[in-house]
Amino acid sequence: MKERTIWEQIADSFRSRSIWMLHYCTGCGAMELPPTMTSRFDMERFGVAPMATPRQADILLITGYLNTKTLRRVIYTYEQMADPKYVIGFGSCTINGGIYFDSYSTINRLDYYVPVDVYIAGCMPRPEAILEAFNYLMEKIRKGEADGWKRYRENYEWYKQNQIRSLGEVYVHDEFHE
Amino acid sequence: MAAYKALFNLVVAFFLVLSLEGIARKIMARIQRRIGPPWYQNFIDLFKALSKHPFSNGWIFDFGVLMALGGALATAMIIPMGSITWTPFPNSDNFFVIMYLFAVGALGMAMGMVGSGNPWASIGVSRALTQMLGYELPYLIVMSSVIFFYKTASIHKLIELQRGGWNLLVMPLGGIVAFISLMGMLGKKPFDIMIAPAEIASGPMVELSGKYMGLLHIMHVFSVFVEISLFVDVFLGGGSFGWYLVKFVVVWVLAVMISSVLPRFRIEQMLKFYWGVPLGLAFLNALFVLLGWTL
Amino acid sequence: MALSTLLISLLVTSVIIYFVSKASWRVGAILNFLIGIFLISYVFALHTGTTSDLGTLFGQKLQLTWTNASFYFSAVSLMVIVSVMLFAIKWLDSQKYPAAFNMFLLMMTAGSLGVFMAADLVTLYIFWEIAVLSSMLIVPMGKKESRKAAVIYAVMSASGTYMYLYGAFLAFQRYGTLNISEIAKQMVSDPSTGIKAAIFLLLASAGIAKSGIFPLHTWLRIAHGNAPDAFSAVLSGQLVKLGSYVLMVTVAVIPSLRVFANIPFYSGIPATNYFLIALGATSIIVGTLMAIKQDDMKMLIAFSSVANGGYILIGIGTMDPMGFEGGVLHVFNHALAAAVIFMAFASVVYRTHTKKISELGGLIHKMPITFLAYLFAIISLAGIPPMSGFISKWMIYQALVRKGMFITAFIAFFGSIGSFLYVFRPLAGVFLGQLPKKYKDVKEVSPVMWIPMMILVVISLIIGIWPFPVLQPIESMRADFGIAPMVKISDPDHWLIRGFAGNWNPVLVFNLFLIGFIIAYILYTMFPRSKKVDLLAPHKEEGTPINIYTGGEYIYTPELYHYNTKFYAGFERMYEKHPSWEKVLGMLAKFFHDLGEWVHGWFFRPSPSAYAFWVSLTILIVFWVRW
Ligand code: SF4
Repeated sequence: MKERTIWEQIADSFRSRSIWMLHYCTGCGAMELPPTMTSRFDMERFGVAPMATPRQADILLITGYLNTKTLRRVIYTYEQMADPKYVIGFGSCTINGGIYFDSYSTINRLDYYVPVDVYIAGCMPRPEAILEAFNYLMEKIRKGEADGWKRYRENYEWYKQNQIRSLGEVYVHDEFHE
Repeated sequence: MAAYKALFNLVVAFFLVLSLEGIARKIMARIQRRIGPPWYQNFIDLFKALSKHPFSNGWIFDFGVLMALGGALATAMIIPMGSITWTPFPNSDNFFVIMYLFAVGALGMAMGMVGSGNPWASIGVSRALTQMLGYELPYLIVMSSVIFFYKTASIHKLIELQRGGWNLLVMPLGGIVAFISLMGMLGKKPFDIMIAPAEIASGPMVELSGKYMGLLHIMHVFSVFVEISLFVDVFLGGGSFGWYLVKFVVVWVLAVMISSVLPRFRIEQMLKFYWGVPLGLAFLNALFVLLGWTL
Repeated sequence: MALSTLLISLLVTSVIIYFVSKASWRVGAILNFLIGIFLISYVFALHTGTTSDLGTLFGQKLQLTWTNASFYFSAVSLMVIVSVMLFAIKWLDSQKYPAAFNMFLLMMTAGSLGVFMAADLVTLYIFWEIAVLSSMLIVPMGKKESRKAAVIYAVMSASGTYMYLYGAFLAFQRYGTLNISEIAKQMVSDPSTGIKAAIFLLLASAGIAKSGIFPLHTWLRIAHGNAPDAFSAVLSGQLVKLGSYVLMVTVAVIPSLRVFANIPFYSGIPATNYFLIALGATSIIVGTLMAIKQDDMKMLIAFSSVANGGYILIGIGTMDPMGFEGGVLHVFNHALAAAVIFMAFASVVYRTHTKKISELGGLIHKMPITFLAYLFAIISLAGIPPMSGFISKWMIYQALVRKGMFITAFIAFFGSIGSFLYVFRPLAGVFLGQLPKKYKDVKEVSPVMWIPMMILVVISLIIGIWPFPVLQPIESMRADFGIAPMVKISDPDHWLIRGFAGNWNPVLVFNLFLIGFIIAYILYTMFPRSKKVDLLAPHKEEGTPINIYTGGEYIYTPELYHYNTKFYAGFERMYEKHPSWEKVLGMLAKFFHDLGEWVHGWFFRPSPSAYAFWVSLTILIVFWVRW
């Protein structure tokens, strides 16, 4: 890994204390976010705040299973986020397919398509686990180890190839296909 | 000398409002029985935003952000902070000049954000402008009656003329209306229609990334400074620098506490609200001033 | 050259221009422009007090004089007209009747200069009619509906002018003179309030009709909306100001404060003036509310002209030194801003052939200079500081607050904030946002078209920073009319504008804005460079989605992701079921139409029997009378 300049180190420590997240709520895991945000677990005390659009967000929360249709949106959304950006994979579905591992339309490993910085195991993970993941991610950012966005840029060809292989060519371009 | 004072204005505004915003988040958290982020959280957020690698949606987007920040900075430089000693430009601190110079920033922001090409931004801007129509009218009527009463629109003169008693006590109706309008200006809870994050994806800010978000956050900081300073100067009699800060904090905390227990209006509910009781009270206040029935 | 020679030779030249333009309209347009330049230099060289005779009528001399007011209004008018003339050199190639356009434009210029110079009521009337008729003949050169528009324009204008003529003859009968300043002198000593008020209001009604003040405002929408696009700039920027001039003459040259000192209404303002102010306030409300919901961008600005005419009338009507200066300065500001806006729209229509906001969008990518011109013009129109529009609004507010006229002030504020709303609609709907695919080959207009816009914008900006060159003629005008000549508002030595309630320094305010902008720019460059998002990507290559936040959706037709219809839906809903003055007038027109129809049907029934009946009746009558 390359040495970071002093500015990057300072920036990283700011980034680690202020995490704006975009939650892509397709899977069941989204249910666990409201308690994490509200009074019981209060994730705002770590500087984590929900954001409305990918442009503003720092982390993308993939809350569970992804089928090929939603994966396309996830990739689109991920590419619209500003660098540096991080991804948290939520639940076993993003790790190895979980209970949907043999489904015809869901993908099994998120890591093939977008770089994931932190996985949270469990089906579904409880808010404590989510907070733990945030803390772990913060630690990684501070140390400069959360470099998924750099990996995505460097290995863009590889990711693209995986994405196309899984999603296939799109023949008709309009609002209803893809 | 004036230049140093203006610069001092900017520095105070930046640190004061940013920390107050953090404190506001803390207060809000405590009201909701949470712990809340540390008071300096907004500094971290701001610098983090500035450190990112953003996207730009064309030159008008950049220009709009610069114009917004430029207008807000210019307005913050004119505002007197509580007394003639802290008035950078005693010859130009006219109320109407401040209000309309302030609009430069708003226009810049609206233009830049709509220039991003996202319809959510347009919807947000349309809401923001409609809201402006709502809160400005009672506010301007109250301010007109204040100016009519004291025969001056110059803010530092208004402060001096309040030696005898705060304007809030001289014309309480006007003070209350001005505070309600202030809530709308700040975009605090019942009136945060334009940035409703859940409905219209944070409205004007939908396409903002990285430093654009940061710069507009700075603009927002100066806007808050201008709005609350106007209220403190015109209705709470300004005061020495320390007193000014105290009043500033009190007004802010009050606004935050009110906003943290209220839900959001819909746009026409907001208009009906503002054009109902506050506007009526504003006219009543004007009538009292005309008849000389002030306290 | 004497003033009368100038005007008559201008009228003659306009006919010559017609024949030149028949051969080559471009030469005609260029000649027009050169004549315009000459007129500007001529106007600036004239000395006040120059007079010349035109002839006699009823033993009364018809005279032209050159006063400070004539200078101010002529200079503003010529600025607008000359820039439109320059604009027309290129723009006319989209028109069907360029020769007639050139002729009538010059004729109208002569007419309006004559109005500003006229020293008596009849001269004013004659040149007024020249200006109105020649402009009326340009209006139907536009699109389909324009013929009807011209008729409505003529009728509204005529209803104003006939009242004016009636007033003029009333004044002549009572005071035995037509000269305006003579009449003014005699009116002060006239004891009968009723007749004075009648004369005052009758004279003012011409101005009310022309500057689109409330009961007679409906022609503005129709005429401005349907006139040839560049001519709308003249209509709104210049012709409407003829109305403001007549209003100024009736309110200020006839010293209404002294004439009507016996009927004070509120805060020292006589009831007659207050009546005008009320009309002005009503037009602000009507203009603003209607402008907010228009879909046709030209009609939108036409309604904004109604509102701004209201500002001018309010300012002048108060007869307060600040208010008067504000109102007169607003003539300048609105003339420039409206002219630029209409020229920008003309450029848009020239390229895209539509004036519906709902069909446009994203033109900034294709026409950036037109966009900039429009942007600065609306900053001026909305009255936001660095541009000149703010100064006049500031002055009008000062006057209103000083007089304690809170309700009028409320309406003025409403109009001002409402103007943010409506000027933003074309900005967002036409210039910003997503470009529809059908306009992907649109280009910027040629420099001949954008240079005049830019010149006006720069003038407006410079006057916004250093307003004293315009304020001083207004101040001398105010001294002529004797409105508190002691009060000095502009103070160029200290760079200040002095209001009754505090001063401000336009140079300082501009510099502060500049410093703020520079600080912002430094901050902007300090942080990481941004990556460009190409908003035109879907246009360049078929099958590329737009790269903005769409909630994860892929969108290939950018115009679907553009918000330009019902922009203020939440607010518009609140006054959907408003009463419409236009409908009332329409009903009136329908009534007369039906009456005519009935008479027509009765007397000219097309059946042969009726015909025979009438013929025999006529014969009977003739024989009975035994001619
Ligand atoms: S991991 Fe379990 S809880 Fe999460 S999305 Fe998959 S099935 Fe649902």
